[in-house]
Amino acid sequence: MDKATLLEELSGFLTKDQINTNYDDLYDASADRYKKYAKARKVLDVPLPTAIVYPNNTEEVSKLLVFCNDNRINVIPRGGKTATEGGLENWKELTLVIDADRLNKIIKVDEYNMQATVEAGVRLQELEDVLRARGYTTGHSPQSKPVAKFGGLVATRSIGQFSTLYGGIEDMVVGLECVFPNGHISRIKNVSRRAGGPDIRHIAIGNEGTLCYITEVTVKIFKHFPENNKFYGYLIKDVDTGIKVLREVMANGYRPSVARTYSEEDAHQHFYHFHKDKCVLIFMAEGNKDIVEATCRGIEASVEKFKDGILEYVDSKLIESWFNHLNWSQKDIDDEFEGMLEKDYHAGFTTEISADWSTIPQIYANVMNRVRNEFPRAHDLTMLGGHSSHSYINGTNMYFVYNYNINCEPEDEMRIYHHPLQTIIVEETLKLGGSMCHHHGIGKYRNEWTKEEHGSAYYMLEKLKETFDPNGIMNFGTIYPQEEGVKFQK
Amino acid sequence: MNLICLVKFVPDVEDFKYDVTRNVLIRENVKMILNPDDACALAFCLKVKEKDPDTFVEIVSMAPTSVVGHLEDLLRRNFDQATLISDRMFVGSDTYVTSRILARYLEGKTFDCILTGTHSLDGDTSHVPSQVGEALHLHQMSNIVKIEETQFKTGWPVVDVDSERFISSYRVGLPAILSVSKESKYKLPFVKFKNLELDVSAKIKIITNRELGFRADEVGLEGSLTQVAHTFTKNLQKEDRIFVKTDEEGIDTVYDFLEAKGFI
Repeated sequence: MDKATLLEELSGFLTKDQINTNYDDLYDASADRYKKYAKARKVLDVPLPTAIVYPNNTEEVSKLLVFCNDNRINVIPRGGKTATEGGLENWKELTLVIDADRLNKIIKVDEYNMQATVEAGVRLQELEDVLRARGYTTGHSPQSKPVAKFGGLVATRSIGQFSTLYGGIEDMVVGLECVFPNGHISRIKNVSRRAGGPDIRHIAIGNEGTLCYITEVTVKIFKHFPENNKFYGYLIKDVDTGIKVLREVMANGYRPSVARTYSEEDAHQHFYHFHKDKCVLIFMAEGNKDIVEATCRGIEASVEKFKDGILEYVDSKLIESWFNHLNWSQKDIDDEFEGMLEKDYHAGFTTEISADWSTIPQIYANVMNRVRNEFPRAHDLTMLGGHSSHSYINGTNMYFVYNYNINCEPEDEMRIYHHPLQTIIVEETLKLGGSMCHHHGIGKYRNEWTKEEHGSAYYMLEKLKETFDPNGIMNFGTIYPQEEGVKFQK
Repeated sequence: MNLICLVKFVPDVEDFKYDVTRNVLIRENVKMILNPDDACALAFCLKVKEKDPDTFVEIVSMAPTSVVGHLEDLLRRNFDQATLISDRMFVGSDTYVTSRILARYLEGKTFDCILTGTHSLDGDTSHVPSQVGEALHLHQMSNIVKIEETQFKTGWPVVDVDSERFISSYRVGLPAILSVSKESKYKLPFVKFKNLELDVSAKIKIITNRELGFRADEVGLEGSLTQVAHTFTKNLQKEDRIFVKTDEEGIDTVYDFLEAKGFI
């Protein structure tokens, strides 16, 4: 099928305003924030998708998927466009981007049963605003909250800044509706818990649009007590001290909503108002008063235990002020885009990994060492550091953060800077048994390590693809490595 | 066209660290960079070459052989040849002697135009281009911010020169020495990813005094009639940082500061 025929056939079952072939919009749809700099400079090397389509309901999603499946047309499911790992990048000449823009209804807020149901295209901020007005919260707060939509949040296994208390999206999703390439619509019912075989929610959660299209989501809601929020901040000796305190808090069963430790370099860019070139440890306790008080006692006791590594206490108001300016709005994203047009500059990149408590400091040290000694453009680095921001009883994550003077053409930046840096981080993590992606998803630029990430369990991932997407039409190149895509990576 | 571009590699002054306790610049491990004005001159040459692929651009630099890597880096951007004038005898040459050395090499060359930068980051005396012009009996123009590309090939380009108070336009007959300013905004492209490892060693020619034939008393410290009488390091002081809130008082503080520094 050629592009003209595809568009003609689409117009047989979609209205004109549901099919977008505007050049600028297609260019925008051809890549995500992984190639933000090349994209801003208009030098992307990937094909434009054929069209962006806007289904009005689940049935139309089903029709579209059947059409694409029958005609072997690549499909990229799209929500708020905040992907950072190439998950929205297009690698095929014939591609439809199925945008959830019109699946935009908040279906139900059920306060008694503490859950809310939304369509995939509802912005997280929108539901959060509705809930806050009633004294509730989703508990989900990724930096992309003002922009990200539920379909994408679930499809990428996203996590928020208060995850230590509320969990990741996988802990919040109660049930969902999704559509498979053959048009089958599956509804996973909303129950508090069940032992009805494997938890099939997890086939959809984190599938990154490679198995199915998520159309509706039901998430838990939580009572919100912002008046009880308590903040703690410390300048500390090193990252290891911070990790030890975080572990102490978590191992003793406390669940602060924010529990983070920053390297000196990363603290420098986040906490310009107090960092003093030291590592930083911060906490936020939230919830009902009794829980907050208990959590505060737990934090204080943990800090006391490692007091030799605590250099200075930070005024909690400074932490609160930082906390109130965390999120990225569309304006922030647009401002960075404008900046990239004018200068050889962007706001940097991140690579997030996870491992158990004893392994994380080792990975951090190994990565720092390798980058400084092996990365050919180490002299161009203007920032290299990291922070742990999501902790669990058995381990934590490490968010490597880096930026550099861009001394290359925009189309080469990925190959010269970001990808080699990400490669070092991923290799060091996998070598020590950690996970190469804590919450951004695999996308298209970590797929070369998907097999290594899953080891013998990759068999299960492979079989899911064969079963649900036998024609390979769903988000070609994402999660699953593809020979054809190597030219865009290397 | 045959173009020759004179370039210089200088210490990256932005990279200097300052020891406030001893009030000295820490010069160790400071990296060398291509002089920014010279980069603009090179960028213009590449623009000409882009439009007229038959254009031959030779880069000429007088420096220690340690800059070979930098020259290779330039050659990977589509320049045709790099000539490094390097000899232990030339060490310590002042700008006049440097100009004579460059001129002696250039007098045997055929070219349509010589491009250079106007200022250099390290010395900033801007003597060399005009002195080379004098030695070669060529017109020389500094502070060029624009060269009309379409007329360049005709041999009579119009150049815009920044005279501080206004921009003047001149029509210059080639061959001449055109010295470009970084205000020109001609931007040198980076090396393409596919060319990062390109072997360009065959395009580098090293010229020593054996080819140029100066007597020992004509070059280097001995041959230089000017001497640096005194250098000094600018005194810098570490100032305390001030933190302000995003309230009226904070805004006033920032405003007053910017006003006092002349930014507003």
